[in-house]
Amino acid sequence: MARRIMHIDLDAFFVSVEQVENPQLKGKPVVVGGRPQGRGVVASASYEARTFGLRAGMPLTTASRLCPQAIFIQGSFPKYRDASQRFMAILADFSPYLEPMGLDEAYLDATGFESIHGSTHQMAAKIKQRIKDELGLTASVGIAGGKIVAKVASELSKPDGLLEVAAGEERSFLAPLPVARLPGIGKKTEQKLNSLSINTIGKLSTMSLSALKSHFGASGEVLHRFANGIDDREVKPPAAAKSTSRETTFGKDTRDRSLLKSTLRYLGERVGADLRQRGKRARCITLKLRYADFTTITRRHTLAQTTDSDQTIFDTGLGLLNKALSEERQAVRLIGIGVSELVEAGKQLDMLDTSARRQEQLNKAIDRIRKKYGFTAIQTGRTLKLKDIFPEDGEGYTLQTPSLSR
Amino acid sequence: MKLSCLQENLDRGLNVVGRAVAIRTTLPITNNVLLATDQSRLKLAATNLEMAISCWIGAKVEEEGAITVPARLLSEFISSLPSEKVDIGLSPQTKTLGLKCARFEARISGVDAKDFPPIPKVEEGIATKVEVEALRQGIAHVVFAAATEESRPVLTGVNAEFDGDLLTLAAADGFRLAVYKLPLAQPVSQKTEVIIPARTLAELNRLVAEQEEAVEITVNPDKGQALFRLKDIELVSQLIQGTFPNYAQLIPKSYNTRAVISVADFLRATKTASIFARDGSGIVRLVVAPGGEMTPGKVIVSARSEEIGDDVGEIDATVEGEEAKIAFNGKYLTDVLSVLHEAQVALETTNPSSPGVIRPVGVDNYLHVVMPMFVQW
Repeated sequence: MARRIMHIDLDAFFVSVEQVENPQLKGKPVVVGGRPQGRGVVASASYEARTFGLRAGMPLTTASRLCPQAIFIQGSFPKYRDASQRFMAILADFSPYLEPMGLDEAYLDATGFESIHGSTHQMAAKIKQRIKDELGLTASVGIAGGKIVAKVASELSKPDGLLEVAAGEERSFLAPLPVARLPGIGKKTEQKLNSLSINTIGKLSTMSLSALKSHFGASGEVLHRFANGIDDREVKPPAAAKSTSRETTFGKDTRDRSLLKSTLRYLGERVGADLRQRGKRARCITLKLRYADFTTITRRHTLAQTTDSDQTIFDTGLGLLNKALSEERQAVRLIGIGVSELVEAGKQLDMLDTSARRQEQLNKAIDRIRKKYGFTAIQTGRTLKLKDIFPEDGEGYTLQTPSLSR
Repeated sequence: MKLSCLQENLDRGLNVVGRAVAIRTTLPITNNVLLATDQSRLKLAATNLEMAISCWIGAKVEEEGAITVPARLLSEFISSLPSEKVDIGLSPQTKTLGLKCARFEARISGVDAKDFPPIPKVEEGIATKVEVEALRQGIAHVVFAAATEESRPVLTGVNAEFDGDLLTLAAADGFRLAVYKLPLAQPVSQKTEVIIPARTLAELNRLVAEQEEAVEITVNPDKGQALFRLKDIELVSQLIQGTFPNYAQLIPKSYNTRAVISVADFLRATKTASIFARDGSGIVRLVVAPGGEMTPGKVIVSARSEEIGDDVGEIDATVEGEEAKIAFNGKYLTDVLSVLHEAQVALETTNPSSPGVIRPVGVDNYLHVVMPMFVQW
């Protein structure tokens, strides 16, 4: 049976969620990301704002210059996460073969399930209707024989669109489109193709495999297949994450050790809480720093025994931080901490040091309090300093790009 | 300085002292090896300030003298020479060591021997002797249980308690404890307890491999250093200052379950399970099941990995007490089982979060305590 793959993508997701909550924002240029003079970037822009040239990823200062009348909203990650979970739950009702891609898009393998709804087209219409009824959001759906064409179709149909590419017509569907439309082709590849006077996907598909390989190496083969509309990758549920991390950009580059330490502690506690909630332990701790000149470094330490303790994550991170700062005189722009090499929970008991057991009980108690009363309800002395710097929303401190602050 | 010796003797001597040469150091001369005439022999010495090894080799000395030269360079050069006579000469003005062997000649720039860190003298103090084989067994049974992380310095050492004609060696890294008792060939006059760096003992074990005579041990009166004297070799080590944990209280006094099992079977089952435990935390689960009237008891050794799969192995056991479930880091089990020579071992457990005790059956000079891993069954 020929595969039918759907790509479902919510339109201007963050902004639309805000508009559902506050209908006055509808029909206006709205940007989620932060204050217009802030250092963050546009996380999401309404279609009205996009007509001014605003795009996700653009610095907020540029956005406010292009569209001074735009309404800038800080946004809140928990709100979007909740909406995303409801979105995925709706999709899961239609097919168990669901592969979420971030918060606002997903692939769904509809093969065989369409008969229940009449046709894939009708199935997609039902999905769109439920999303509209239950979340008040619009989605664009692309349907094709493989992921890549389904994604191009949904992009092309935006907003609130539905576009099905009939089986066998993938190649002719892609042919007239500019090469930049093909996922995986970035600025650099596009420039290179244009310099070879390859402007459309159709032209790209006629290039020989060996020519593509000589220009683009191993990725040439993927380009060749995608340009011809060939994509037999399966829709599969996401694998369990192999690492978890948190990072933030400071409002102003800083050399303030105590601010760096408090922020590290706070981010480390978020990472620790995440680990414990997932019932995992980590063997490796990684510190990330970005300096004023945008050089970014990561430093890692592998522990002899795995951990899920806030204290160990912080102590290890602090050791890495002190070492990094002793080698670099620049101010710090961004700090982050993460854990990796996650293993199932299973803790080596210690016969001499009982502090580990006390730490574990402490973490458990803190987790319980935070679950009930919010993350900032109980804090270590070190993170209390952040109270004067960042606003809190019950779920935690709102750091630089609130819409992305998990 | 002018002398000659055999290439193979010089090569062996440089190998012996080579392990004491400093690797990363702020004191560059500790990268060097000291060559000094000592009556009718050539003395080689190296130190990393924690441990110093001296070695004497036969030589025909024509003129006294001493110099230090880069240890690795000299060692690599000498080991590549043919097995013939080496003529060694020092030009005192330029501090250049000249070497001649067969049709090879080399000159190596040296540093004055006066600048070489003095190797502490260990005389007086507590003196005793230990037979080589007993010492080797003692070291092998405990040294792997010492800590490798420096966060608790005393645990990077092996506690040595000399009492009458008994030496008790103990090592612990917080997760396991190994205690081995061996006889002294010469009793000590007073009870003495010191902490010897595990690295020193590991090195000593390497050095005694080619020895037959008993090893002389001397501890300074202030317990700052210890000297281990072998035939033609002396190892002087700093001792670790501090208090070793009172490990006697860590050894469980009783048990709820005792399983007697074959060491070889247990080792095989643990190694097999460890393959599956590798990408987890190394968790190996044990279920000790008492036998019925007609069925023997058994120990079920298993491991599982979310991503890879799982493995279960069974071994026969003579079980006394109730059924037990306990999980250990597989490496800790294979470490101890690998050093045992006995055919059978007893595994004693109390509950899933209390230490397990491993004792070889038939001898009472060794015991090993392992802390379990807390897991969801």
